[in-house]
Amino acid sequence: MLFNSLEYLIFLPIVVVLYFTISVKWRWLLLLVASYFFYMCWKAEYVVLIAFTTLVDYFVALKIGREPLKKKKKRYLILSLLVNLGMLAGFKYLNFFADSINMLFGEMGAEQPFSLFHILLPVGISFYIFQSLSYTIDVYRGYKKPETHLGKFALYVSFFPQLVAGPIERSTSLLPQIHKPLPFDQERLVSGIKLMLWGFFKKLVIADRLGMFVSYVYENPEQHNGLPVILATMLFAFQLYCDFSGYTDIARGSARLMGYDLMINFNRPLIARSLRDFWNRWHISLTTWFRDYVLYSMPYIREKKIINRKIYRNLIISFLLMGLWHGAAWTFILFGIFHGIMLVVESVTEKPLAPVYDRLGINRFPKVKAGIGIFYTFSLLTLSLFFFRANTLSDACLLLSRAFDFSNTGESLRFMLKNNELTFGILMIIALLVTEQYHAKHNLILKIASKPIFIRWSVYAGFIFFILLFGVLHQQKFIYFQF
Amino acid sequence: MTGKFAKRALLFIALLLLINVALDQAFKAFSVHNILNRRMDEQFASYNDTLKYLSLGNSHNCINTYILENSFNYGSPSENYIQSYYKLKHILEKTDKKPEYLLLQADISTYGPKIAERYEYNSYWINYINYPELARIKGDREVLTKWLEGKFFSYAGNYKDIQLSIVYRMKIRTLEMHNGYRPHRDYRNFADEPNRKKLAWDKANLFSTRGAYFDPTIKAYFKMMLQLCQDYNVRVYLIRYPVSQEFYAEETKIVPSVLLYSEVEAIASGFSSYQGMLDYHSMFFGHPEYFFDPDHLNVKGSDLFTRQLAIDLKQRQSGSFTEQTGK
Repeated sequence: MLFNSLEYLIFLPIVVVLYFTISVKWRWLLLLVASYFFYMCWKAEYVVLIAFTTLVDYFVALKIGREPLKKKKKRYLILSLLVNLGMLAGFKYLNFFADSINMLFGEMGAEQPFSLFHILLPVGISFYIFQSLSYTIDVYRGYKKPETHLGKFALYVSFFPQLVAGPIERSTSLLPQIHKPLPFDQERLVSGIKLMLWGFFKKLVIADRLGMFVSYVYENPEQHNGLPVILATMLFAFQLYCDFSGYTDIARGSARLMGYDLMINFNRPLIARSLRDFWNRWHISLTTWFRDYVLYSMPYIREKKIINRKIYRNLIISFLLMGLWHGAAWTFILFGIFHGIMLVVESVTEKPLAPVYDRLGINRFPKVKAGIGIFYTFSLLTLSLFFFRANTLSDACLLLSRAFDFSNTGESLRFMLKNNELTFGILMIIALLVTEQYHAKHNLILKIASKPIFIRWSVYAGFIFFILLFGVLHQQKFIYFQF
Repeated sequence: MTGKFAKRALLFIALLLLINVALDQAFKAFSVHNILNRRMDEQFASYNDTLKYLSLGNSHNCINTYILENSFNYGSPSENYIQSYYKLKHILEKTDKKPEYLLLQADISTYGPKIAERYEYNSYWINYINYPELARIKGDREVLTKWLEGKFFSYAGNYKDIQLSIVYRMKIRTLEMHNGYRPHRDYRNFADEPNRKKLAWDKANLFSTRGAYFDPTIKAYFKMMLQLCQDYNVRVYLIRYPVSQEFYAEETKIVPSVLLYSEVEAIASGFSSYQGMLDYHSMFFGHPEYFFDPDHLNVKGSDLFTRQLAIDLKQRQSGSFTEQTGK
């Protein structure tokens, strides 16, 4: 059941109405049933995997909580890690590793040792496993007491608005909300609907429109070169942002209708002034997850023996894993390594570059400096997205090699510009950036809310019909569902 | 929930519904495609002559009804076999006009999933398509959203149609249409295009999908259409319309046409209604001047093609047809 499907638009109001009609005592049960139903609409049998993860982590956390010895606590934690990551490896990475080894053997002229499995990747597995794992690690570290209510813990793992593509919630934030549900609040309801509308705008009007042009180039890499390739990759940056942040807005809005606050996952990442800044603004729930549970778990940082070289190594490893989290493909691994290396380069050159900026006088013009920073970050992001979007590593290399060959690019560009679709898409990107910037400074929602009812309602109704009229309503899947 | 909030919410919803009804009705009345399709329906309703040939298909269908006597060209833009089936069913079951022959489009792109997924102009097709049946055959409940779109939200996602409707508002009043045929493709010539190969590649990739050449839903409706014709004693010719050489070259890089047509033949020959395939795809190879774009004939091309079709149909029916005609 996609957020942009008719089924969801029927399902959600029913759940919300029932939620506020039944007794507070049973709300968790309603949401749990709704969440499992939501997941089963995709593939019913895979719900067993969520139930299994839930049971393992529930009992492991209880054991960790009761066990006084650290050594034994660690054994339980390892059990949880093995089960969860084993499941992830089995469903997501097994074929990738087998295929890579087969290719290696093939290159050497030897017989391929592994046969591949035909397994359908369970939707959202990377999200709910990471969410569940963060809970066991938090219990192990003593940040969280074990949850004793199995049903409420099961709801924490499977809460439908964020089940299939995040945000990856922490138990310290979501579980208390499940325990103390808020009463009906009309302001929350209205603000939830507004957030959902903004998400639909980003997904239907921008992301799915840009997706047509991106696919046009990326599905046929041998046919394109020069400007269309660069333009398609730049558009993909906006498509990815609008698709994923649009999804997050709908998820957060849906949860807010029932009084739940999910974490902010994006903070205008496309105006980041450095890659470090970018990763502080992009998919925040994942980057903070890796920071807290991977980077900080590595030796030399945890033990406060700060040795730069090793920090940099750990950073690259963390980003490699983060790339691999996105998908079992070399393209994602390279995407991660690229970002890891560039973050190290940024860190190493930060001090030596400061006097250069001074000498050039750039520091006196903060807007120019910010502009340079945004251009630099967006360029690097675009470069890395060649790997992120390409279907295969060879496609990525082909497109990269053809991107700077500007011969005969007119026809592709003409096709892309046909029907003014692209021009409209670019106008919408500008509108999005301007609105986000304005909202960050002046809180647009409050501004509109303070206007007389006639203006307010005109704006809301206008926005709804704008989405309906200009949205691409073919039900494109959300990109992050595949992860 | 306070009473004031509930009242306001209801009022706002009522306002949205009101605007929606206004937009829906305006779109249905003024959409250029709706106007053209409605005019075609009106012409068909008032068609009083013997209906020997009824042609169905999408914009590739360029049969000139001035040239092919006793014919009605009921093809419409983006039409696929699903839509053709329901339109034919409507004609056979609900009107007194029974064609002797059905000329059914059978181009390479006719059978692919991209054409199968094009559910456009639902506010027109809602008059014909049984959406619940389609959802069942396709195994996809989401098709029902198309019913909803056609019934209540005809404008949704159709801003391009509105744009066209504004641009062509004046032209459409004087647009010539004769028994469904519109001789309008004369303002561009494919021969003048500087990069025909690229245009052909773009068009071929727009309609065909690598690795999937016969969509299961299209296959199901193809069989249903042949069965329907058999039940009503309507004879069927499959027609492959002329395409440019460049387009065919690109299309056959994507679709294994030999495999596709052997499957099509195997299905069709199982029905007594099937009379054979008339293949004109290469009729104008090396003659881009007869094309409007890579896969549509212009007015002159349509005339030449229809003349040949008329001769071939006559010969077929007199039993003297030879395969070299139509080339």
